[in-house]
Amino acid sequence: MHEGSITIRLSADVAEIERLNRIVRQFGELHELPGRTLYAVNLALDEMVTNVILYGFAETKGEETKGEEIVVRIEVHPPELRCEIVDGGREFDPMQVPSPDIQAPLRERELGGLGIHLMRALMDEVTYRREHPKNVLTMSKRIR
Amino acid sequence: MQTQEESLGDVTVLTITGHLDTSSATPFESVLMEVIDRGERKVMVDCGPLEYVNSAGLKVFLLAAKKLETLDGQLVLCALSPSVLMVFEMIGFTRIMNIAASRDEGLRMFREQRAEA
Repeated sequence: MHEGSITIRLSADVAEIERLNRIVRQFGELHELPGRTLYAVNLALDEMVTNVILYGFAETKGEETKGEEIVVRIEVHPPELRCEIVDGGREFDPMQVPSPDIQAPLRERELGGLGIHLMRALMDEVTYRREHPKNVLTMSKRIR
Repeated sequence: MQTQEESLGDVTVLTITGHLDTSSATPFESVLMEVIDRGERKVMVDCGPLEYVNSAGLKVFLLAAKKLETLDGQLVLCALSPSVLMVFEMIGFTRIMNIAASRDEGLRMFREQRAEA
């Protein structure tokens, strides 16, 4: 495993998610991250960046907007990995979103909130701060 | 993401390969719903070659499981890789879905249900 970092600039376009995922996987392989850690980071970033792209810039929920920038930074400092997502979208603190009831029986399970719940479960520490006019989400995970 | 369909007796098996993510969730949902809409009630998804799934893909499995339950059918997922299984556990799907280690075990899940009926 090697120390290192990468900064990825994305436009607010759903087509960018595939590019992000590809870059994250390449970065993880290059730095010889364990498979489980890489999978977790890949998924957490995918979920949170997708949320920003789909909901962060649109007036109407679900409507996609182009031209806005999202900056993702990943740092590997063994034994820890840190990620940061900075976007200029509307204020949104994912830590305020209630978790879905994962004990509910199948017929009562709701479809929403799965992505944010996964991110929180995959990461060891998550902090959100508003640095007007930007959202800054920091996630960290012990590498293992 | 690619899918391949086959029939094993009265069980329809869909094998899903690659990455099930935001862009591939919609085509996968179409394939799975088409199988249910044409009347198949015993549906197994072989996740052996599935390398990655995100919440958009998980929603498709949840939708299909809910739909089959209301139709007295059954969805069985088999051969999940350790990473994919970890995600299913985190989201609580291992307690509400039929998850088998292998195809053979998955097929037995359908037979057991018939025996109970």
